[in-house]
Amino acid sequence: MRNILLKEIKLSASPLSFIFIVFGLMFFLPGYPILCGAFFVTLGIFYSFQSAREANDIVFSALLPIAKRDVVRGKFLFVCFIECCALILMAASMIVRMTALAESDIYRTNALMNANPFALGVAFLLFGLFNLIFVGGFFKTAYRFARPFVTYLIVGFLVIAAAEALHHFPGLDCLNAFGTDRLGLQILLLAAGGALYLCMTVLACRKACRDFEKIDL
Amino acid sequence: MSIIEVSQLRKEYPSFTLKDVSFGIEKGRITGFIGRNGAGKTTTIKSMLNLVHPDSGTVCYFGKPLVGNETDIKKRIGYSTGAVNWYPRKKIRDIVGVVKGFYETWDEEAYRKYRELFTLDEQKTPHELSEGMKVKCNLLLSLSHRAEVLILDEPTSGLDPFSRNELLDIFTGLKDEGVAVFFSTHIISDIEKCADDIVYLSRGSVVAATDKAGFAEQFSRDGETLEETMLRLEKEGSHA
Repeated sequence: MRNILLKEIKLSASPLSFIFIVFGLMFFLPGYPILCGAFFVTLGIFYSFQSAREANDIVFSALLPIAKRDVVRGKFLFVCFIECCALILMAASMIVRMTALAESDIYRTNALMNANPFALGVAFLLFGLFNLIFVGGFFKTAYRFARPFVTYLIVGFLVIAAAEALHHFPGLDCLNAFGTDRLGLQILLLAAGGALYLCMTVLACRKACRDFEKIDL
Repeated sequence: MSIIEVSQLRKEYPSFTLKDVSFGIEKGRITGFIGRNGAGKTTTIKSMLNLVHPDSGTVCYFGKPLVGNETDIKKRIGYSTGAVNWYPRKKIRDIVGVVKGFYETWDEEAYRKYRELFTLDEQKTPHELSEGMKVKCNLLLSLSHRAEVLILDEPTSGLDPFSRNELLDIFTGLKDEGVAVFFSTHIISDIEKCADDIVYLSRGSVVAATDKAGFAEQFSRDGETLEETMLRLEKEGSHA
């Protein structure tokens, strides 16, 4: 799998996939829907799928001495690698905001979502949805990606809107906790996001392997 | 025993059917796979590489079925398809750098030898290569990992007569080393020049799978060249 990941990074990937990891730092932005950072990261990954298709990457990979399912696993590995890099940046930004910048006025007066473990959990959820809807959807044909991307776009923005709005509902203000407030609940929500990410990615990868096996290239 | 055994391969498309294609490829022999455009050559080759799923039939390499032994078999075979553009904006050196990691049998000396023979500049990108050079670039990847079998889809198309001749000589050299070469073409003179065996496909069916002399004996009329025989067979087939 090391070789197939190297192939993804050196031949298939668009440079934008790596550059857009920086959008993980949007967790620092006050007065901005920070989860859009997660969306931009997935947009960067989308560019890799686009450039890979133009380079006949799928057929090239299928001809390498690997099983067909490893072509799919390689793509998932690359996608998860980019997502994990972005999640590390988001987590680092979140920790700084929860500690050194916990009392900062600019964040305290922010009407939008706070960068806390719940936000990171939703970022996990968004990446999971991208893997399930877009990456999984792409491997139904290994060629068409417009429909799965538009579907992801709609679902992704609904999730972002819902996550941004939730803490304004009565009784849900705990979702927008600052510093180490409600830490137990916050960590639970983060763990739930992580678990959903894992489940959706594994599910998508298994289904994509099955779908790709049936495709005539 | 044949090094490749294709048995009863069948694939149905709405407008075309590959009908129970069967043939064998022997070690140390060159087999020309001939048929006009649309005869089913590429579908057969893609089925032999697990890129296309036949509705029925099997493909075995070295006595083992391809399904279930794909990784091991692919390490021992080389494949090249005409002038397809892989990663058009990446340097050849970078493509080679990645590909060689997949083969324990990668032969750096063979790579250098064929790169020099093909006068291929590895600093170039496939986008900068002519159609003929793209064919050579694809071939270079197949020839550099000591493949025991070479499966080549239209390797001579787009090549100038000198390069074509050079390539056919390379096939002969590989054959002498015990490599089985299986190449599709619609250029009959390529078959005449170097093939030992012929698999002739017409409208999705194998018309003949035999050695060159056997083919001539079975199908050629007196004084007819292989090309004339093929043209006549195709003409007769289209009127049948």
